[in-house]
Amino acid sequence: MRDLNAPANPLEVLAYIIAQQISDHSVVYIGTGIPMVAGILAKKTHAPNITIVYESGGQDPIEGDMPWSVGCPFTWRKSPTTMEMSYSFAQCYNGYVDMGFLGFAQVDMYGNVNTHMIGKDFHKPAVRMTGSGGNNDLSSLTENMVLVGLQTPDKFLEKVDFVTSVGHLTGGNSRKEAGLIGKGPSAVISPWGVYDFHPVSKRMRVKTLTPGVTFDLAQQLTGFELLKPEGEIPDTKLITPEALKIVRTEVDPRGVFTVMPTG
Amino acid sequence: MAKYLYNEEAVANLRLSDTSVLDRLVDFESARAAHLKKDHSKKDKRMSLAEAVSTFVQDGDIMTDAGFSYVRTPHQAFNEVIRQGKKNLQMIGAPNTNQTFFINYGVAAYSHNSYTGAEMRGIDKSYDRALKAGRVKILSEWSHGGVAQGFKAAQLGTPGVFSKQMLGSDIVRYNPYLKVMQHPLKKDKDPVVFVPALYPDVAIIHCHVADKYGNAYIYGPAVNDLAVAAATRKLIITAEEIVPESDIRYNRQGQIIPFFYADAVVELPFGAVPGNMPGCYYWSRQWWEKVMRFGGVSDENMMIFLNEWIMGTKNQFEFVDKLGGAKWIAEARRQTKAAEGDNEDIDFSYEEYTLKNDSGLYY
Repeated sequence: MRDLNAPANPLEVLAYIIAQQISDHSVVYIGTGIPMVAGILAKKTHAPNITIVYESGGQDPIEGDMPWSVGCPFTWRKSPTTMEMSYSFAQCYNGYVDMGFLGFAQVDMYGNVNTHMIGKDFHKPAVRMTGSGGNNDLSSLTENMVLVGLQTPDKFLEKVDFVTSVGHLTGGNSRKEAGLIGKGPSAVISPWGVYDFHPVSKRMRVKTLTPGVTFDLAQQLTGFELLKPEGEIPDTKLITPEALKIVRTEVDPRGVFTVMPTG
Repeated sequence: MAKYLYNEEAVANLRLSDTSVLDRLVDFESARAAHLKKDHSKKDKRMSLAEAVSTFVQDGDIMTDAGFSYVRTPHQAFNEVIRQGKKNLQMIGAPNTNQTFFINYGVAAYSHNSYTGAEMRGIDKSYDRALKAGRVKILSEWSHGGVAQGFKAAQLGTPGVFSKQMLGSDIVRYNPYLKVMQHPLKKDKDPVVFVPALYPDVAIIHCHVADKYGNAYIYGPAVNDLAVAAATRKLIITAEEIVPESDIRYNRQGQIIPFFYADAVVELPFGAVPGNMPGCYYWSRQWWEKVMRFGGVSDENMMIFLNEWIMGTKNQFEFVDKLGGAKWIAEARRQTKAAEGDNEDIDFSYEEYTLKNDSGLYY
């Protein structure tokens, strides 16, 4: 049982912010981790009629416990159908998926994502990470992508070490010219801020900031020059007590994804 | 000399001196010839796991993963491949991380890779070390969807498909099989990626039931396996249960692999242990935490762990005994039924394995 009185931790804050991006009645493609919490939270709050799709082929499950993998039984629990993997991604290409959520290890100023490796030498990286999985497929095909991850200057970089998934590539019209489908990433969400992309240059821009975070602080946490929107920067809407209670009692009661690691 | 005109930038980036090692994965002619040469008669193909592996998995084969990571993956058959000491395999690590186990025993020397790791259980530090030490060589980088399209192209009976995935990314710069081309019908510039049909040498697919001829039924996500079964040159079916053909005919509509694809049929209850078998048993969460976290620390740790579980067991029954035997079976069955909504909801709490806390329990 989780402590219902503790203040919201950054993961819970993040889950709520992500959930706010989801409109009711949409089809949403979800990657592993915090996006799962967000999707289920949205479904239990403002967007009860969304349909969630997972890459192993599960889709439209009846919610059970928190999924531990995009292939686990909770992603296809009493689903009307399961898809073969090739067909699952094809739903993004064919225009049936409204929005996708993915994590990253590094993101650059144009929303390109790296989940492959840290370092410059492919053969001897500082750290080899997972590789693409379905990350590239969703980023290549989905109409609206939302990227989710932690924000430090070595995670928000001018140039990622390996382009696993194309966001807005080199800005401007370059994503479309490279042949990719969809609008590309519409938002990047970190515990400190929500970022969007300038409509013409496609460079990352501050949209809202977590209360207490200034533009200067956000800039210090970023390895490239952030664009500043015109006018006051609004605060990001923080998780409400009601939503926090739902996260802790219904969405992730065992704290699979929303309890901070204790080292 | 290689038979194909590979993506030269990728060949250079991957530092491949002899590209002929790449050929068989896309060699349709030899795959078709292998399919034609199979005995297509409807005969009893049952044999032991040891015999199936020793007959149909050969040194140097391209073997693909099956299932999804730890869902309906043929872990116990993979363990037998390792115990038999096969050499120089090329592993297609999609959509899984299981190639790591082969690499640690020097069974797999090459990797076609789209994902290594266990999602929230952690990144695969063992693969990272093997890569840097040169114990495994990456032959191609993929996305999950790219590999899925390659297998699907083979099942569709086509030389390949044009994809919109992987465009513009570094994946195409590290995959010799992919070529970016202009859409042939479009007037305007419209890049597409040609993904060739993929033909592994051997696949092992773990199914729920099979008859003795090899008609095999899958419940839950098929992932790539229906396509893989059609593509692969050699196919070993392992099944939780062997049933009469009439059971397949009358009771098992849905995801079926036809018998004439199969070379061997192995009755292998608990064949997906320590992973999850839909409808049958839940995965052992602690086992996966331990392999990622304890094995992640060092090569020595990983070998201690794998020696205990792979070399230290002769078969899946000994493996299940180590997990907790009948108690594990009962718990894993209860958990998977609850997970699938076929039982009362239960509390999925458990004691997580960490480096500081090993309860010794696997359920």
